[in-house]
Amino acid sequence: MIINKLRLGLPLWITVALLATGISLAYSSHARAAQPAQETEAFCLSCHSNPELKMTLPSGEELPLYVSPEELKLSIHSPLGIECQACHTEIKAYPHPENTYSSRRDLSRAYYLSCKKCHSAIYEKAQDSMHAQVAADNPAAPVCTDCHGSHYVHKPDEPRALISSTCATCHGKVYEQYKNSIHGSALIDEDNPDVPVCTDCHGVHNIHDPRTEQFRIETPELCANCHADAELMSKYGLPANVYDLYKLSWHGVDVSVYKSRWPTIWHDSAVCTDCHGVHDIRRTDDPQSHVNASNLQGTCQQCHPGTDPNWTDAWTGHHEISLERTPWLFYVDAFYSSFTPFVLWVAGIYVILQILRATIDRARRSAR
Amino acid sequence: MSEPTKNTTNSIPAVKIERSFVRFTLSQRWEHWVLLLAFVVLLLTGLPQKYRATSWSQQILATPDQVAWIQTIHHIAAVVLILEVLYHLGKAIYLMARRSLPDHMFVTLKDFRDAGQMVAYLLFLRKEKPVSGKYNFEEKVTYWFIFFGVGIMLVSGLILWFPEIITRVLPGGVIPAAKLAHSTEAVVAAIFVVIWHFYHVHLQRSNLSIFTGKISEEDMQTYHTLEYERLTGDDPGESEGGSS
Repeated sequence: MIINKLRLGLPLWITVALLATGISLAYSSHARAAQPAQETEAFCLSCHSNPELKMTLPSGEELPLYVSPEELKLSIHSPLGIECQACHTEIKAYPHPENTYSSRRDLSRAYYLSCKKCHSAIYEKAQDSMHAQVAADNPAAPVCTDCHGSHYVHKPDEPRALISSTCATCHGKVYEQYKNSIHGSALIDEDNPDVPVCTDCHGVHNIHDPRTEQFRIETPELCANCHADAELMSKYGLPANVYDLYKLSWHGVDVSVYKSRWPTIWHDSAVCTDCHGVHDIRRTDDPQSHVNASNLQGTCQQCHPGTDPNWTDAWTGHHEISLERTPWLFYVDAFYSSFTPFVLWVAGIYVILQILRATIDRARRSAR
Repeated sequence: MSEPTKNTTNSIPAVKIERSFVRFTLSQRWEHWVLLLAFVVLLLTGLPQKYRATSWSQQILATPDQVAWIQTIHHIAAVVLILEVLYHLGKAIYLMARRSLPDHMFVTLKDFRDAGQMVAYLLFLRKEKPVSGKYNFEEKVTYWFIFFGVGIMLVSGLILWFPEIITRVLPGGVIPAAKLAHSTEAVVAAIFVVIWHFYHVHLQRSNLSIFTGKISEEDMQTYHTLEYERLTGDDPGESEGGSS
């Protein structure tokens, strides 16, 4: 139609100029067809690599839309060919469909469902967690991306201390305690491969409420996972029989009965963490340790109020019977380890001799 | 205690006259009943607590409430036993103060000699058993074993019952020691009673004097010869028989 108009009396030079423009336009659109397809990362990055790119959400929050191509390359997914579309399933082309998220949190809580596509087993596990339970009422409850990141997903445990610092994002107070504990300081200062990070005790994706009867009753075994491992403990010069000795103690027997019979009933018998602390466990010779001699009375008094300083010696600890440490117990043990067999052997032999003599006498008498 | 009781039948002249002696007073027989029942209840309620980690014990201590119940029963039986011990010791002290405590239960040199002779007899090195007074050495062993056993059980039991109070006075180390003593002594005492005492009063011969209070003249002559002679005035033998 333009051509018709041109024919109707435009000067030739204009016609030529217009034609040239048209050809060059046609050519350039041809050139565009050779560009990456709309679904590819490269295509997305043609816009989203612009650091200035952002939009405003209905909540008034600004949503940055920038994705760093360099960092993306270093992440786990992109080099494996898992590109934008894998997660951003509803955005197939440009222009994008209209935004339906009112806030950034809204967007995170919807987008993490994409993880489920590939990581369904872990997703299901996480649905069983404390975090998923509270998510209904608390929008801040973490979803996959809060811990793992969204675009730049890396191995979560490299270095190992990263795990605990990830938890610290929300659990800052606990992290402060942990950081100074024997476990935390070894992790953070020495990158120790053996000390527990948060997830070793709390679980990874199915993190449960640690305040329940069940968690409490499992606590000694949880600690025993490492502290009853002779090889591991010998590395640090620690005794590996603490758990076995605990099981023989008043507290330990009680706990084992509750564990086998009434795991769902709350019990007040001390488990490891009641005395040693939870996140603030320190070496027993550290003056700040709850079980250091200087603090032990107060620790006992948590459950045994009003007890005398003498009371602390009633706990024979995680030590074998010895003359130096537990003289009373040592002497009683020594007495009974000879008295018991003495009494039973003497009484037994005496009675057997009596039976023999009586039987033989009777046999003789009847034979006569 | 001194005069033999006569059970005579009047009409038939050829009848045998059975005489019996008082062996235990009514209060002694009551003491034995109380001790026996307390012992059994304490053992039955104590053993499941000692062996709490075993499954048979957990059948009995099936709920935390049941554990509390068993402990309450154990404590009640312990109080009964304490009262019995106080009565027994109180009576002994009272009699001692009046210089009328019978001395048949005290251990003498003769008991050691008797024990040696008895072992010799059992090994066919002697023809005759040693003769004894009101209580032979076996009976004395039973009495004193239980006497000290009950002492250990009561002291250690009270330590375990009131550990917070005890540690105001005594070092904390006595508590685990008391637990070990209480737990071990109980089993030693129980096994001892079963093999020693039960054999002597049930298997060797049925000796029910502690329930009837009486002993027949025949048994008295056979098993407590010296006491028989002392009471009847026949042929006074060794002086160990006791003079009250």
